Amino acid sequence: MSNITELYDAILTGNHKKAVEITDTALKGGQDPKELVDKYMIPAMDEVGRRFEANEYFVPELLIAARAMKGALNLVRPLLLAQKVAPAGRVVIGTVKGDLHDIGKNLVAAMLEGGGFEIIDLGVDVSAEKFVAAIKEKGANVVCLSALLTTTMPGMKDIIKAIETAGARKQVKVMVGGAPVTKQYADQIGADGFSDNASGAVTEARRLLGVG
Amino acid sequence: MSTESNERPITIRLDPLDKVVHVRAGAPLQDALFALGVEFPCGGRGTCKGCRIKVLKGDLPPTDHDVQKFTEADIAAGWRLACQAHVKEDLVLHVSQWDSPILSDNTAFAFDPQDGLGVAVDLGTTTLVAQLLDLTTGQVLAVRTALNPQARHGGDIMSRVEFGVSAEGQAKLKDLIRREIGRMIRELVTASHVAPAALHRCVIVGNTVMHHLFCGHSVEPLSHYPFETNHLGLQVLTAKDVGWDEFTLRIEFLPCFGGFVGSDIVAGVLATRIHESEQIEVLVDLGTNGEMIMGNRHGLFCAATAAGPAFEGARIYMGMRAATGAISRVHVRDGRLVCDVIGEGTPRGICGSGLVDAVAGALDLGLVLPNGRLLDGAKKMHLLDPVVLSQTDIRQLQLAKGAISAGVQLLAQRCGTTTDGVARLHLAGAFGNYINVSSARRIGLLPMAEEKIVASGNAALHGAKLALFSRDTERLCAPILKLTEHMTLSSDPKFQDVYVDEMSFPASGV
Ligand code: B12
Ligand code: FES
Repeated sequence: MSNITELYDAILTGNHKKAVEITDTALKGGQDPKELVDKYMIPAMDEVGRRFEANEYFVPELLIAARAMKGALNLVRPLLLAQKVAPAGRVVIGTVKGDLHDIGKNLVAAMLEGGGFEIIDLGVDVSAEKFVAAIKEKGANVVCLSALLTTTMPGMKDIIKAIETAGARKQVKVMVGGAPVTKQYADQIGADGFSDNASGAVTEARRLLGVG
Repeated sequence: MSTESNERPITIRLDPLDKVVHVRAGAPLQDALFALGVEFPCGGRGTCKGCRIKVLKGDLPPTDHDVQKFTEADIAAGWRLACQAHVKEDLVLHVSQWDSPILSDNTAFAFDPQDGLGVAVDLGTTTLVAQLLDLTTGQVLAVRTALNPQARHGGDIMSRVEFGVSAEGQAKLKDLIRREIGRMIRELVTASHVAPAALHRCVIVGNTVMHHLFCGHSVEPLSHYPFETNHLGLQVLTAKDVGWDEFTLRIEFLPCFGGFVGSDIVAGVLATRIHESEQIEVLVDLGTNGEMIMGNRHGLFCAATAAGPAFEGARIYMGMRAATGAISRVHVRDGRLVCDVIGEGTPRGICGSGLVDAVAGALDLGLVLPNGRLLDGAKKMHLLDPVVLSQTDIRQLQLAKGAISAGVQLLAQRCGTTTDGVARLHLAGAFGNYINVSSARRIGLLPMAEEKIVASGNAALHGAKLALFSRDTERLCAPILKLTEHMTLSSDPKFQDVYVDEMSFPASGV
């Protein structure tokens, strides 16, 4: 019989099976789902993020940890919904039009999810119109744009303009990222946040929303 | 070509081509000759004699390899292996492989003698190589190399595309490259004292972006998904079209496979003949775009894996090109890493082959763990003062090598086999010529038995030369194009999983 405190380690080491098992047992034993998330799962993902940022973890470790987290989260999520627990924020994320690179974007989405955010992932090759529609429809308060090509990065500027034109700019904080994107570029196009890695994206989102 | 040194450079003259290269004292001759399109069939390991040269003037002491490979009389006559030589003084050399066109496997190819002279051009994103050939005898008459003058408008291919998307940008890039190649051809003609009218043909190969820019097609479609264009085919131009007014030659830019797999790869297939093979073979270009093509005479699949520039030493903390001062080889001796520096002077940085060697050695010594971490959470590893390898460098290498080996695996799957079922792996591109194959295997870059891996020299230029001897280039390339299916890895759902798996290093050497 596993101890609930082992959930933290199971996520940190990417042990999907164990993470799901512990969560399942704990919930059946009457454990409060919100406490499970706040006390074990989010701290575990924060530590994963810290290690990634410190270059101790790399893409493979981050992905398996995120997978373990997701497994556990899938059991908890319906209960949180039933309890009407509000997420830390509602994030629309996607890779911009003309670009299909999505590994970095997927990591950002996974880390944000692990950080307690609700994720609406629009996938790749996403047009400005689609971003705008999703922001409005889902009532998002953060939008994350990812671009990996020198040639598709300028599309981010157009998306920010489209959000403005649609009158939704006050509603969302815009975060941008991807290998060619820099802090200067983010500032230049009027984005609110930037990070060069998936863990920093969580810190940045929390800062922008004033949570955590 | 010039070196970046301020010491007195050594002058090497290649006879009878009237070609002079300058290198630093102690520099490997292979570096200087490779840039001119000389091939090193065994990858410079000193086993094939394909790179032999004759010293006509100057002193080049024989190496151990020379003593093994040549008779005493040959050595006395001046024969040496270029791949083993380090130059110490001015030399005049004769390059044997330019006497007649030979295939990479060192067998003479049966060429169809043609009238007049022809020029073969390898139009690279960074460098240009042009050779003038006598189409009757197959002899190389002269060679010229240059830097691609477009590079000032963007070093990598996507920055070049970005610049070329506007009409003025496009026109500028087109003019720059047409003028530079025209200048090189003029020099070739002058150097070999032939009449411009004797020049009948020019065959050019290059990646799809270079192809479009030279031929004057818009690169806008290559700037975004789905990267599809309507101008992949063979492009035929006249000298007038491109402004080389004193010539009457016919210019052919060989066809491309897709948006990021160009005619340099088509030419590589011509040179390695994997399209005629019964067994499954693969050609891999270990450059920034990581193009590869796999299959046999029944079908071929190609893809671009976008490895990035780590193998060229870019985005590596102390990374540099394979030039004087670069750590180019690293061996394990007595439980320690021992570094060789090009030019044997003070080390300034590390190039791609040194990077691969260093990580392979460090894995064997347990200094780097299979997950890519430096032992004890160190942030960097000392190689040879002041050169270090950082944790981030190893991460960059993981991203690049993972992309290549994931590509090879997915292509093997498409061919209905595994990497074990691939009979031969041809390494194209400059880096493929320098890399230590066993190190490449140790880090999991080339998931293939060592004896199956062959360096194929400048396969692109070689293929262009073969095309010069063909009466009908369209018909020469058509079967290859017809056999080949272009795989877009971005729409392959398996790519991410295989790629992420391949980012780790194998636990132990084989
Ligand atoms: C894997 C890869 C591919 C895969 C993509 C698979 C996939 N599903 O994503 C394949 C092989 C399909 C591919 C194709 C192409 N690629 Co590619 N690719 C790469 C490669 C090797 C790694 C990219 C990657 O996944 N990195 C790992 C992730 C985790 O890092 P990341 O994306 O940077 O994300 C991190 C941060 O940037 C940040 N982040 C990312 N997004 C966001 C968003 C926000 C809001 C925030 C805050 C942070 C953030 O957090 C992430 C995690 O820490 C790079 C080269 C390299 N060595 O880096 C080239 C590279 C990006 N590709 C390149 C190119 C040109 C292409 C192609 C256009 C042409 C080609 N050569 O084939 C095609 C077309 C792709 C398309 N249709 O869009 C170039 C871009 C050059 C440039 N200057 O624009 C590169 C640099 C390689 C090169 N040639 O130099 N590619
Ligand atoms: S002997 Fe020099 S390349 Fe083979």
